Amino acid sequence: MTPGYLARRLAAVLLVLLVVSFAVFAITMILPGNAAVMILGEYATPDQLAAVSERLGLNRPWSVQYLDWLGGMLQGDWGMSLRLSLPVAGLIASAFANSAMLAATALVTVTVIAIPLGIAAAVKRGTRADLAIGLLAYIGTSMPEFVTATLLIVFLAGPESGLFPAGGFVSPLEDFWGFVAHVMLPAGTLSLVLTAHIARQTRSEMADVLASDYVRAARLKGLAERAVLRRHALPNALAPTIAVISLDIGYLLGGIIVVEEIFAWPGLGRLLIYALENRDLPVIMGVTLVLAMVYATSNLISDLVIAMIDPRVRYA
Amino acid sequence: MRDLLRSPAGLVGTCLLLLVGAMMVLGPLLAPYDPQSFHPRARLQGPSLAHLLGTDQFGRDLLSRLLHGARNTVAFGLGATALGVIIGSIIGVTAGVIGGWIDSAIMRVLDGLLAVPDLLFTLLIVTMLGAGMGYAMLAVSVAFTPGMARIARSAVLSIRTREYVLAAIARGESWGWIIGREVLPNAIGPIVVEATIRVSFAMMIGATLGFLGLGAQPPSTEWGLMVAEARQFMFRSPWCVAVPGVAIALAALGFNLFGDALRDSFDPRRRLR
Amino acid sequence: MSADADTSALDVQGYSLRYRSADGQFDALKSIDLTVRRGRTLGLVGESGSGKTSLAWAIMRYLPANAQELSGTLLLAGEDLRTKTTRQILEIRGARVSMVFQDPSTSLNPIMRLGDQLAEVLIRHRGLSARAAFEEGTALLARTGIRSPAEMMRRYPHQASGGEKQRVVIATAIACNPDLIIFDEPTTALDIVTARQILDLFTTLREETGVAALYISHDLGLVSRIAHEVAVIHQGEIVEQGPCAEVFRAPRRAYTRALLAAVPDPAHRIGTPPPDPATPPLLTLANINVRYGELPWLLRLLRPGQAVVQGARNVSFDVRPGELVGVVGESGSGKSTIAKVLAGLQEFSGSVAFAGQRYQGRRAFDRAYRHAVQIVFQNPDASLNPRQTVATILSRPLKLYGTVPPLRIPARIAELLARVRLPAQFAARYPHQLSGGEKQRVAIARAFAAEPKLVICDEITSSLDVSVQASVAELLVELQRETGTACVFITHDLNLVRQLAHRIAVMQHGELVDLFDTADATLPDRAAYTRTLLDAVPTLARIENGVVP
Repeated sequence: MTPGYLARRLAAVLLVLLVVSFAVFAITMILPGNAAVMILGEYATPDQLAAVSERLGLNRPWSVQYLDWLGGMLQGDWGMSLRLSLPVAGLIASAFANSAMLAATALVTVTVIAIPLGIAAAVKRGTRADLAIGLLAYIGTSMPEFVTATLLIVFLAGPESGLFPAGGFVSPLEDFWGFVAHVMLPAGTLSLVLTAHIARQTRSEMADVLASDYVRAARLKGLAERAVLRRHALPNALAPTIAVISLDIGYLLGGIIVVEEIFAWPGLGRLLIYALENRDLPVIMGVTLVLAMVYATSNLISDLVIAMIDPRVRYA
Repeated sequence: MRDLLRSPAGLVGTCLLLLVGAMMVLGPLLAPYDPQSFHPRARLQGPSLAHLLGTDQFGRDLLSRLLHGARNTVAFGLGATALGVIIGSIIGVTAGVIGGWIDSAIMRVLDGLLAVPDLLFTLLIVTMLGAGMGYAMLAVSVAFTPGMARIARSAVLSIRTREYVLAAIARGESWGWIIGREVLPNAIGPIVVEATIRVSFAMMIGATLGFLGLGAQPPSTEWGLMVAEARQFMFRSPWCVAVPGVAIALAALGFNLFGDALRDSFDPRRRLR
Repeated sequence: MSADADTSALDVQGYSLRYRSADGQFDALKSIDLTVRRGRTLGLVGESGSGKTSLAWAIMRYLPANAQELSGTLLLAGEDLRTKTTRQILEIRGARVSMVFQDPSTSLNPIMRLGDQLAEVLIRHRGLSARAAFEEGTALLARTGIRSPAEMMRRYPHQASGGEKQRVVIATAIACNPDLIIFDEPTTALDIVTARQILDLFTTLREETGVAALYISHDLGLVSRIAHEVAVIHQGEIVEQGPCAEVFRAPRRAYTRALLAAVPDPAHRIGTPPPDPATPPLLTLANINVRYGELPWLLRLLRPGQAVVQGARNVSFDVRPGELVGVVGESGSGKSTIAKVLAGLQEFSGSVAFAGQRYQGRRAFDRAYRHAVQIVFQNPDASLNPRQTVATILSRPLKLYGTVPPLRIPARIAELLARVRLPAQFAARYPHQLSGGEKQRVAIARAFAAEPKLVICDEITSSLDVSVQASVAELLVELQRETGTACVFITHDLNLVRQLAHRIAVMQHGELVDLFDTADATLPDRAAYTRTLLDAVPTLARIENGVVP
């Protein structure tokens, strides 16, 4: 893995972000619904519209607006929220921290549960355990987050059972166990889908590896099955599994929007919904860009980790 | 086709799909009540003889609402996917066939668009266009287009280098023949498989949008909307949220299972020659 | 090693194996009797589907769950493997019986160092420490002829060539001094020269260690050179067995005779008579150059690190009407590149002169050229569109070039099928309903349907079984004789090309190294590379005086 490789991957990420930023910008420009109209509502007079448009610089050509916005972003000025009159960067920063806590909890749970499940299913292929895991995985990928969340709340957070709070956020720095109580259900909701997905992928990768010629050769050398799994199968299944996890972060980002909204968790998702409802363009753009950045970065990290594991990439 | 029914996944998936299909086609005919009519004295009840799946907060029969809503939810999934598949396939096939720098450029743009999670993309478009099932379907299909384009492109690429395609090029066949009769019939397989699985995702996103108030609008019987409307009352009667929620899950499960079984049946390794 | 020197290394008695599947059951092995004596090599020869590989798995006790052993014993140095427990089998595998596989690229763990994979078996069975195992492994690699063995131990598989990897696999197999080594087509995935080196290594090691070997192969010529005894297996039965000298000199069974007859023998010509040297050439290639991986500058920004490979370098030769020119070389020699250039599938610089016209570059090829020059590919499974019937496939050239009026097309299709000796009913069939050989005949029929002046055959027999290869080659010659079509026959099978071709072109690293009349193949004025290739290819041993030379 040369510095050249690293530089190229970074360049690719930046290119992707540029395309995303342009796409987001284009959506807001092309689709009907002038920002001024959105802010002032349908009954605004032409004069009011003109004034707001002027103030927001909406009359300038697209390219100028885009470059202006992009330039501001790069300098750290992410604009002001139209609704809250607060700097966007600050709003996003605190929301990001909260979302990160939720996402991290979910990811750790998923990794710890899903990968061993997938491996177990592959090793015990065709047995009832495998079918059971497979069935649970199918169900997991078929339930939208809002359904899972709602059912969890109904059965675990109702006034009768009262095991968990039905929503809200407590910082772990203030009250750790309070945080745990509040994060359980939202993280659990996110984990369900992700566990199902990752377990299935792990199983499939592991099954492919177990059927490979080199695993066969290892067994025919007389190695015990445990040694075959540990030294030959698992390491080869690891790289593709990591790739899948990073792809699932995209899925996680989508799910987090709904989950935060349902559980009133003050993260990026909830901020985005609020911004969408209020047509708060700068916030919308900022949050979208941050989410895209997170996804692209996670892909980059997974590529690098794979490069570290797989000597074919390292010594290419 | 017969191997589809041989695996347990394929069997269950096909049954679920048939059930869902029946609900779509015959649903309104079989519904015992008008989905919009209130039965004020039977509100928030669990299953009973009069109301097989219970009632919601207005006393509307859940079974009837479910049967009517099948069309909304499932048709949304099918429609959005179909549109995304068609547009995405055209782009992907074009990129795969033309190759060269046009292909690379298209791929870079697709990569950029794929960096945005589906739901997020959809939310952005729906916000700009406005709420409603039509816009939501358009939004989902646009969100699906890059992913389908990728699948179509890779299907075409893998076929393009096959020797029967080379033979056709060597013979001097026209491009129309090569694409239409040699490449496409063989590339359709992976596209169809991916499309089937995507229907379940489209349905789930559509239901999510309905839930968020950005998709179907009241008094529609879309299943996601049903969950949203009943949320406040879910502690009094879990049925009013559980029934539509489970219905969404089962429909999505059906498409998932069917799609996976379809993929396995296309897999050449399964062909015992 | 077992004490009793009289016991055979391997003794299979009455062994039968059946596979059960959803479609029914299949008897893979029927009452097999087989013996490999100590220090001897038994060649097990069979075509695909004969069951030879199943026997190897049975001996290694690596059968799938749906395999049912119906009867028989498998004695390894006197002990019945079928009575062993799983734990005992794990002790035996790698230590007393080991295996060398066909493809070293896939049978080595890609993310583990070669040395570690070799040392594994030493640590497991000989109880060596990691360091001792590594040192012993280095010594073993030296024995298999690897230069700088210590460095090779530290490499990963993708950093070693095919030949080097196979040597590592062989070293692993001999590491624990087994009673028996099973070789499953170990040279099939290697190129000619490397394959020869591995064969030489095999015979050397055999002398040194006195190990018994079961050598599985489809290549009779090869087996005749290295095995002491041979067993011919066909559809799960041992058809004939005995010392090589006897079986090859006087085969008793019809199948063995047919198999022997199908092995290409350079001394036995089956080509058409050569054309008059005075006739002007039909096809002339002049200074053909092909570069792969050349990208326009914009793409080079996006995809740096893409190497430019010279597929062909200043290649020039000609083909006369009715002539069959063989083009031979190893993989990467550029012979397939030339095939693609001639078929109009590959960009090139230089010129191709054909039937009075000169074409410089791929885009210059016009309808007339594409009509008169047809190509048949190597892989029968991939050269026919799986979604088209044979009739559709054969009708395309007829419709495209208008060689017959539309109403006559079905009749013409029937004629074409008859010419390639396929029944007329095949017209309605789909490719997956045909065997490999039958599909290849359809591909040939498709090429000749256009009534071409030149047919390019790109390794058309390489993917077929031995007996089928011979019939396809004969078919080609017959069609040539009838139609007077010229042919460029690309192959890596030197014996076959010496049977068929009038002239032979030898390619190496994209260059044309040698061009000569077939009769002159063994003359001393051949290029050094040509002589290396000819030496490397095993021909069927001429058994004189009952001794294998």
